[in-house]
Amino acid sequence: MELPPSPSQPLVVFDQVEVKYAETVALDGVSFEVQKGEFVFFVGKTGAGKSTVLKVISREVRHTGGRALLNGRELNGVRPSEVPLLRRQMGIVPQDFALLAGKRVWENVAYAMRAVGASAKEVRRRVPEILERVNIGHRADAFPHELSGGEQQRVAIARALINNPVLLLADEPTGNLDPEHSIEIMELLAQLNVRGTTVLVASHDMMVVELMGKRLIRLEAGRVVPPVEGMGLA
Amino acid sequence: MLDHLLFLFSEAFVALRRNRLMSFAAVSTVAVSLYLLGGLGYMYLRVSEYAERIPGQFDMRVFLKQGTTFDQIRETARAIRAIDGVREARHIPREIAWRKMREQMPKETEGLENPLPDAFKVTLSDLSKAGHVREAIGRLPAVEPNGVVYDEAARQYLDQGLRFLRWLGGTLGGLLFVTAGVLIYNAIQLTILARARELRIMQLVGATRFTVSMPFVIEGMMHGLLGGALANLLVWASHVHLQDRLSSLQATANLGSYPVGLGFAAFCGAGAAYGAVCSVLSLRKAMRQTT
Repeated sequence: MELPPSPSQPLVVFDQVEVKYAETVALDGVSFEVQKGEFVFFVGKTGAGKSTVLKVISREVRHTGGRALLNGRELNGVRPSEVPLLRRQMGIVPQDFALLAGKRVWENVAYAMRAVGASAKEVRRRVPEILERVNIGHRADAFPHELSGGEQQRVAIARALINNPVLLLADEPTGNLDPEHSIEIMELLAQLNVRGTTVLVASHDMMVVELMGKRLIRLEAGRVVPPVEGMGLA
Repeated sequence: MLDHLLFLFSEAFVALRRNRLMSFAAVSTVAVSLYLLGGLGYMYLRVSEYAERIPGQFDMRVFLKQGTTFDQIRETARAIRAIDGVREARHIPREIAWRKMREQMPKETEGLENPLPDAFKVTLSDLSKAGHVREAIGRLPAVEPNGVVYDEAARQYLDQGLRFLRWLGGTLGGLLFVTAGVLIYNAIQLTILARARELRIMQLVGATRFTVSMPFVIEGMMHGLLGGALANLLVWASHVHLQDRLSSLQATANLGSYPVGLGFAAFCGAGAAYGAVCSVLSLRKAMRQTT
């Protein structure tokens, strides 16, 4: 599934989106729009629905009500066989980094390219380039357990960027990092955004969020609520 | 395409190497299951083969009335051969039978006239039809009343034994087939669940279902293939051991030679097929949980 360039329409549209699990309401009438090239934080307490928003966009979760559009296409209308193609248009940085423990740094990144059909030659050219871009080239031969939290996060970001996505989804990218590494990672995401990648970040780290000064969408109990300045979130 | 296939195979082989413990568990489960199942199957085949040969050892003797003419003998031979369950009917002329008897018992037969009638040696093709053959032959006009001699009790005993072995082979084989399937499925599912993280990552980066599945299916097939090869070696070793034991006991039964090549092909093929099917079934479950 292609995401054709269409400058006039928003990249992501949520219109009264609902996600209900058996007994729980994860999203309850959430509406917002994200334009191409934006950097948006989804903030809120644990269980507010931040991760669910990202999962609806990546089609890990299907919404049960409302409309969720990606580049004009209703996400629930994407057939299961098209989901892999949809995900190739985005880079996903999960909360737990999701690195393969048995593979070296470069293999973890190369794996994402090989899995979508890139040739070995292409991988050899592109992987060192992307590792340098996120400042982790010097640890290319290390295994994930030999890396610090910040370094692991860089590898996860490198993997997310390897297929040149137009959209980057990062779920709590600083959740396991100390403040110094958190700021480094956010600056890296900001650099990617400057180069044109739309970045959506779910975070409850308000210190970092406020420091970045980007657009905020605040969620509470599955609903969008107005941001409160200087709020402290658990 | 070739490049992508190489990637899928290399992923499967790297996983085999890096997950040695789970691979060992899966391979040994396949080996033991196929050894039990294949060993039983092989024993069943050998018993069936033996059962095919056995009726020849339970010949029926048919004595004709004294003074039976050559034409009547010929007619009787034709009638016996036409009976269902008869493989062969060989005429034993009374003169030849008497000559043999005189050679074996010269003192007892000295000075006697030939008292023996013409006879037939009847070989059965199916032991279970012995009763019917006996009755049919007994009704023929040239046959002496009570002139059909056959060890019915021994025949029935053997027939029952063979039926039991066939039943045992079929039932135990069926049960083992299902049990082996469940064991192999569980072993492969454990290897897949242990790598659920890998599945999730592959799905997150946009790998297609085929790309996600293939390394696991190849891995499952390799588990099955190796387990099958191991099972074949075990059956072969058991065969050689049993043959040695039989030789040392000077038993008349002979197992013959073990078809090693055919064994490898059959066991490895069955193992690979088992591995592939179990991997696909396990993956369906795991992918439903991770997508």
